[in-house]
Amino acid sequence: MQSDVNSVGYLDYKGKHSGILAWILSTDHKRIGLLYLMSTLSFFAVGVTFGFLMRLELIAPGRTIMDAQTYNSIFTLHGIIMIFLFIIPGLPAVFGNFFLPILIGAKDVAFPRLNLLSWWLYIGGGLLAIISVFLPGGPVDTGWTFYIPYSIRTGTNVLPALMAAFILGFSSILTGLNFIVTIHRLRAPGMSFFKMPLFVWSLYATAWVQILATPIIGITLLLVVIERIFGVGLFDPALGGDPVLYQHLFWIYSHPAVYIMILPAMGVISEIIPVFAHRTIFGYKFIAFSSLAIALFGSMVWAHHMFTVGMSDTAQIIFSLLTFLVAIPSAIKVFNWVATLYKGSISTDPPLLYALAFIFLFSIGGFTGLIQGALSVNMHIHDTSFIVAHFHYVMFGGTGFGIFAAMHYWFPKMFGKMYNMKTAKVGFWTLFVGFNVLYFPMFVMGWLGMPRRYYDYLPEFHIYHFISTIGSWILITGLIIMFTNFIKALRSKTKFTEINPWGGETLEWSIPNVPPLENFEVIPTITAAPYEYKDNEELLTKEEN
Amino acid sequence: MIFGSNHIDLVNGAFWFITGISVVLLAMITFLMIYFVFKYNRKKGKKAVNIHGNTTLEIVWTVIPVILVMAMFWYGWIGYRDLQNPPKDSMIIKVTAQMWKWTFEYDNGVKTDSLYVPVNKPIEVNLHSLDVNHSFFIPAFRFKRDVMPNKNNSIWFLPAKVGKYDIACAEYCGLNHSAMYSKVIVMPQQEFDEWMKMELAKKNASVTQPLKTIDSTSTKQK
Amino acid sequence: MSSVAEHTTEHVHRDDLGSRMGIWLFLFTELVLFGGMFLVYAVYRFMYQHEFHIAAKELNTLIGTLNTLILLTSSLTMVLAIVAIRKDNKYLSIFFQMVTILLAFGFMVNKYFEWTTKIHHGIYPGSETLLAKGNGEVLFFGLYYVMTGLHGLHVLIGMVLIGVMTRFTMTGTVNSDKYIHLEAAGLYWHLVDIIWIFLFPLFYLIT
Ligand code: HEA
Ligand code: HEA
Ligand code: CUA
Ligand SMILES: [Cu+2]
Repeated sequence: MQSDVNSVGYLDYKGKHSGILAWILSTDHKRIGLLYLMSTLSFFAVGVTFGFLMRLELIAPGRTIMDAQTYNSIFTLHGIIMIFLFIIPGLPAVFGNFFLPILIGAKDVAFPRLNLLSWWLYIGGGLLAIISVFLPGGPVDTGWTFYIPYSIRTGTNVLPALMAAFILGFSSILTGLNFIVTIHRLRAPGMSFFKMPLFVWSLYATAWVQILATPIIGITLLLVVIERIFGVGLFDPALGGDPVLYQHLFWIYSHPAVYIMILPAMGVISEIIPVFAHRTIFGYKFIAFSSLAIALFGSMVWAHHMFTVGMSDTAQIIFSLLTFLVAIPSAIKVFNWVATLYKGSISTDPPLLYALAFIFLFSIGGFTGLIQGALSVNMHIHDTSFIVAHFHYVMFGGTGFGIFAAMHYWFPKMFGKMYNMKTAKVGFWTLFVGFNVLYFPMFVMGWLGMPRRYYDYLPEFHIYHFISTIGSWILITGLIIMFTNFIKALRSKTKFTEINPWGGETLEWSIPNVPPLENFEVIPTITAAPYEYKDNEELLTKEEN
Repeated sequence: MIFGSNHIDLVNGAFWFITGISVVLLAMITFLMIYFVFKYNRKKGKKAVNIHGNTTLEIVWTVIPVILVMAMFWYGWIGYRDLQNPPKDSMIIKVTAQMWKWTFEYDNGVKTDSLYVPVNKPIEVNLHSLDVNHSFFIPAFRFKRDVMPNKNNSIWFLPAKVGKYDIACAEYCGLNHSAMYSKVIVMPQQEFDEWMKMELAKKNASVTQPLKTIDSTSTKQK
Repeated sequence: MSSVAEHTTEHVHRDDLGSRMGIWLFLFTELVLFGGMFLVYAVYRFMYQHEFHIAAKELNTLIGTLNTLILLTSSLTMVLAIVAIRKDNKYLSIFFQMVTILLAFGFMVNKYFEWTTKIHHGIYPGSETLLAKGNGEVLFFGLYYVMTGLHGLHVLIGMVLIGVMTRFTMTGTVNSDKYIHLEAAGLYWHLVDIIWIFLFPLFYLIT
């Protein structure tokens, strides 16, 4: 058995189980990564459908295809699924699981069984969320923020939804814990922290946020559960509880959570850009540390979601100020990425296109974040569709496109097949156009005073909603093109054996496509930093770092 | 110029200030990306150059953004400051929100479901909710304030122009959240006084006792 | 890296330091979890100082103190159990583990009586007597039930864990050379203890 540990790819490796069991009981980080990919994508499909339905409803004022109650449930489920089931596990659990051990020259993560457990928890939570839709009482309709007191007044299935989110939090914590230990203990000989690929750095920062922030949401949601069952009164204003306190607790987690979403995507971009520019990354250390800086500052700005609840002026000032400062590390990253293109030798393959689109869309999302961070402006645009546009730009234009980039970048390594470049580019442009047509109008309406979570709206907003809905159709077309392209590639018989198609210098490109169970026959010894393209001419400067 | 009448300008100012800077920076970044992609394209077959970094540059593009965002913060703050301290002479109106309607009560006990105010007089609204969170939002006046069951927020504004403007509910509050609209009607002073006279007459004619101040404690008993 | 050698030989390699790291991180998340609750407590304590003091009088300081002592001793016996296994004294270790479980059980019994008496006095979430009192007291008892309840849950989990460890020690899965599991259970038990050390003064001694 030792033999085919290194000869056969992980896909057709025979362990003690066979069939589906060989997957759902596998402790191999690569198989678990694929499990996560399949499950996140399935939940994602559900979330997308909900989004699509919302757009249909909003194409014209008044009732179009559903009643208000349904709409309220749909945007809630859309939010819960996209946040807790798709975007948070999206990169760390899928590509982190698959590539973190390979990138640091390890055979697996530190706790393989724990890793499998967190997938099971994830599935458990996900199914619970889905089941809650069909239980009597009707799907939860509180918005993904579960604001008190509405969430303890409404008759819908809030409990299962809360429990689902709670379980998912657990899964996320375990993944983070696993990654931290892995990075500390399992780096190949010679791989010092500053020889780690930047994706690993970003996962490291993310993992810390995961284990530090997630317990807070855990306990908070648990308290709401207890509140609903026993009426303890901890949050219920009727019993002296304080809804504002709930909002604080919720955002103490949920703002850091947005950095759990974006940091790994930033890591992916930092991998892709040097590879396709075929040169060293610009300012390695600055990019690495800015991840930690984001993780750090990101945990101190939560109340910018609550500027309108009437906090003291001091609180308002501090949180607004910090909100603006947290933008700086992101700025540093963006500038270094752009600088990495300078004097490169750039090939515009699909992964790079997605990476550049990430920079563009994330910047728009980020800048509008600054607009929201300004106190006076926030008074006007808080809880309008301006916010909705902001977070779709960062979450989906940012992280979403980051995931797309990762898929196009690592696809040949994961499956030993290659997708069609032309189709991929067509898909990309359709997505890109559709995305902006879908979400940009929301900025305009938001500024004109269109509140969010609105089933119906005043006629003056019709035109913007209409354009936006058209955009969603273009976007979905792009999605379909992209995924059919992948599926075609997977179906095709022709194996793709070129080990290093993009000319990357990180470890995954030194092992066969469809890596063997234990990734490396011999654990490599690392001597150089990543992305040293030795064949380039060196530019000698004293500012080298 | 009357104190506070420039609130709308301050908000718009801050908004366009930040947007302006953003557009410039975004254009710059996008242009550079595209320019590099063409100039240093692999098809040209030139060798790439390894540039590991440049500390002076890093400092430059850390310090400049810091300065910019500090300016943004300040612009945002001065526009907010005013909202906090209503002038002494402002007219106080009690606003009660419930699923899913607004009620406005004047100090003389007159109750209405749209907000009638005289032009150019500072209005202080005291916000109460009978059930869940709502948010008192007047898009045209560029502000909103959450309305909560256990917390008596208040905010003030100065209606500078005669006209009818929308009042929306900007905090999700269940089924008819999106239908929780009302209007603020800004009228010239004497017109307002006449309107108020009529309302008072109506009120004294009918035998409706003024709605007693309900707050969280009274919902407790059920 | 040290572990590389054994790395290449077996797939699931052994790395006690790594495991210890993992355990500490986990305990850390547990602390943050309770930290959230202490935050809630702090806020309401600040909002309703006076009523919290009145309400605290209702709690039986004697039982509280007793339980504190019980938990502290149980932590000690747990340590002794680990020392024993290190010294390869299997049966002594098993003995101390059982004592620990017994003490934990004693703690739960105490809790049971404490809670039931409260409930007999009609003090429980949503009860007439409680709602008749001021908001501050409602919150105090709300927090009391939730936090001690959550802690009690941890005690139960701890008991199960240690129980499993006793089994492992018998079968020899845990032995003088490989006692990381027992150590983990021990650390967990100390956490449960520490949390109580915080809960005790916050609820019983603020009168
Ligand atoms: C991936 C997720 C993600 C990310 C990365 C961000 C990033 C940021 N967000 Fe966003 N945000 C959300 C997800 C995210 N957000 C979500 C989901 C909500 C709504 C929740 C809800 O209510 O449902 C929200 C809401 C939200 C609000 C509350 C709005 C309201 O409800 O009133 C605010 C307010 O300050 C805010 C600000 C910011 C800021 C300043 C950043 C910054 O980190 C952005 C930094 C990036 C840049 C600035 C661009 C790149 C930099 C350059 C191109 C260089 C030039 C830069 C400078 C000159 C500084 N966000
Ligand atoms: C990642 C998060 C995410 C994503 C991708 C989306 C995708 C979409 N969203 Fe969004 N949305 C939210 C998160 C997200 N949403 C949240 C948190 C809210 C707030 C809910 C609340 O108010 O409580 C919200 C609310 C929200 C609203 C506002 C509801 C309201 O306030 O009334 C609307 C309205 O049109 C909308 C539309 C859409 C549409 C049409 C899509 C999509 O259908 C567009 C089509 C999707 C794609 C083209 C795919 C994108 C692909 C990826 C992201 C990567 C793929 C991943 C792998 C391959 C692993 N969403
Ligand atoms: Cu009232 Cu929304
Ligand atoms: Cu935030």
